[in-house]
Amino acid sequence: MKNADTSQFKKAVEEMKSFRRKKWSKRKKKDAWWGLLFVSPFIIGFLSFMFLPMLFSFYGSFTNYNITSQMDFIGLANFRQMFTQDQLFMTSLYNTAYYVAFNVPLTAVGSVFLAVLLNRRIFGIRAFRTIFYLPAVLSGVAVYVLWMQLLSPSSGLVNTALSWVGIDGPAWLFDPEWTKPALILMRLWSVGGAMLLYLATLQNVPKQLYESAEVDGAGFTRKFFHITLPLITPIIFYDIVTSTIGAFQIFQEAYVMTEGGTGGPSNSLLFYNLHMWNKAFVAFDMGYAMAMSMILFIIVLSLTFINLKLAPKWVNY
Amino acid sequence: MSTIAWKKHIKRGLILTSTPLILAACADDAESDPAGEDTPDTEENAGSENSGETVQLEFWSFWGSGPRRETIEAIIEDFNNENDNIEVEYVYQPWGDIWTKSLAAIAGGNAPDVIVQDINSVRQRAEAEQATNLQQFIEDDSFSENFYPQLWDTVIYEDEAYAVPFNTDTQVIFYNKDAFEEAGLDPESPPTTWAELEEDARALDIQSGDDWEQIGFYPRWNIGPDVWALNADEGVSWFDDEGNVTINTPEKVAALEWMLEQQDHYGRDTINQFEAEFGSGVADPFISGLVAMRGQNLNYYTNLRENAPEDLNYGVFRLPEYEEGSGHWTWGGGFVLEIPENTENPEASFEFLQYLTSTEVQERFGMNSFDIMANIEANENLTSHPDLEEQGQEMYQMAQESLETTVITPVPLTAPDYIPLVNAEIDAAFLGEKTAQEALDAAQESVENLVEQNQ
Repeated sequence: MKNADTSQFKKAVEEMKSFRRKKWSKRKKKDAWWGLLFVSPFIIGFLSFMFLPMLFSFYGSFTNYNITSQMDFIGLANFRQMFTQDQLFMTSLYNTAYYVAFNVPLTAVGSVFLAVLLNRRIFGIRAFRTIFYLPAVLSGVAVYVLWMQLLSPSSGLVNTALSWVGIDGPAWLFDPEWTKPALILMRLWSVGGAMLLYLATLQNVPKQLYESAEVDGAGFTRKFFHITLPLITPIIFYDIVTSTIGAFQIFQEAYVMTEGGTGGPSNSLLFYNLHMWNKAFVAFDMGYAMAMSMILFIIVLSLTFINLKLAPKWVNY
Repeated sequence: MSTIAWKKHIKRGLILTSTPLILAACADDAESDPAGEDTPDTEENAGSENSGETVQLEFWSFWGSGPRRETIEAIIEDFNNENDNIEVEYVYQPWGDIWTKSLAAIAGGNAPDVIVQDINSVRQRAEAEQATNLQQFIEDDSFSENFYPQLWDTVIYEDEAYAVPFNTDTQVIFYNKDAFEEAGLDPESPPTTWAELEEDARALDIQSGDDWEQIGFYPRWNIGPDVWALNADEGVSWFDDEGNVTINTPEKVAALEWMLEQQDHYGRDTINQFEAEFGSGVADPFISGLVAMRGQNLNYYTNLRENAPEDLNYGVFRLPEYEEGSGHWTWGGGFVLEIPENTENPEASFEFLQYLTSTEVQERFGMNSFDIMANIEANENLTSHPDLEEQGQEMYQMAQESLETTVITPVPLTAPDYIPLVNAEIDAAFLGEKTAQEALDAAQESVENLVEQNQ
């Protein structure tokens, strides 16, 4: 697989070279211009709304930028402060890492499980699929407020349901030990989005593989672990990479569910981006916030890189 | 040229001209606000001030509905009618957006002309050059005397004014007079010290089995540990006047210990359960009779006026003294009016700002919203205003009294984001992980460390 990758890459490089060398026919040139014209909305959008701000942010992380009056170069002072003085930086990093570590695998397992359940030909399956997908459509503040009520310690539905099976539920959003699990639980509710991806992949798994496995006497578990799972690994890989990136950016939930971004009981919901937001818009310390965003960028980039490196070991193409 | 060639050219021309249009539309989309507010460019009005034309001003606030919006709109209409050369346009911005949006607008050079801002961060904005220095427009030195001194203090940065106070509030305790009577207490003599408060609270508690039918008083509901701490410490908040960190003073430790005792009395689980229910807004616990005394902003009166049944017999008293004679210290917040930096017509804006803070207009705003106004005379007039019902007048009398000992706590420039540090330690104390002394010692250290980082 790796060889295929490199050979493709080489081919592309060759093409690029010839692209420059070759004297182009008039026709080809014209086509190229048209091509560029049609992708220009993306190129312009990417440059002006993504790339330039990123460059600006990179430069800003070495300054004391406060948005309106100052932007002096201060070298690595922001980074030094982050790792040696700012107590909340480590708290927020820990909270975020905790959330990512549980949220990413749990949602992946949850959505595969759900997709397998819904990949049947039984009566009313379409209705079930729609119902399980619905939470993925709903999002934002309304959902968080709804969950705050569901998670209410005495009258909330979650604890009421737990009490039916004899469990005395925790205080969820009021107990620092349980705030992050509460949020992870809440996110599990909307695995429908990823479920849809898996469902589509599951339906592409060739039927004859199952048939021949059945002839050989394989049961459901065997078929799942030896046929289904290997064949959907590319999507699992994609899901894990994107949801890791997404999970690191958790902000809204914590901002809404703690009073105006204060970080919840004992700062247990002070996530990385929330701390960054406070630095930028409460303390006007935008340079510091930019430095924080650079660190997050590096963390996410390295994790994605590790993911890509590990992929050949378990992803089947 | 053949017709085919023509058609080609026309097609190409159409695509070429439409692409930038689409792009422009996209760009507009990204900048425009979510509320879809129309925000005309102030540059249009550039230089019109001297030519005798009408100056257009844009005024941002978060008063989106109810009496505040109606009143401010009526006030602006009157101002526009009285002033031929100034036309103010009222723009509502949602509470959650207004200040991040104005910050972006100031940085982008298209700020509104006048904006309602948080009273606690005026100095921060002055330092960051987000607000216009208003000292140049204040001709009369006695102008500042129109306002409560602690409010005026918040707008001063390096001896000059950068905002004008608009309204404020003060934390007090509402109590159910009928519940007092049932508990055998005199409804006309509410508690005046912490000891009396606790004693009355115990008399008001009603418990049946494990369930609480009536909670006498739980101090942490709607009044923060910071307020009890400054009450105990004779009005000194987490920072003293010189900016020293004063978190772990003996008085504040004692105050936190007292709060922890109150939590132990009811039990942490009880408190959590009730808090979650209040949070989901099912019913107001004071109106429903669940709590007999409840700390609130004085403006809670508007809520009672609208939602409480006719027969709810209630009164209000000042935050009690920690010890007899230590003072009824309490806390308040509020809002100011600011002119952002680099606007076209600061002079006309200041004229509007003066209008909004004049006694007459302040009185009018207060009468309709029951806000405590920043203008002293306006509040004084409201204490006996013939158009106000008796209880409304009483609220303003209470405001006058309580404001004498109301502390405003602007964020210190050396530690603008100190709050999460202190709150985490106080939470640890309420969770039983630390004693009051340990928690406040740790908070003191963290905040001192933050101050050091910013120096």
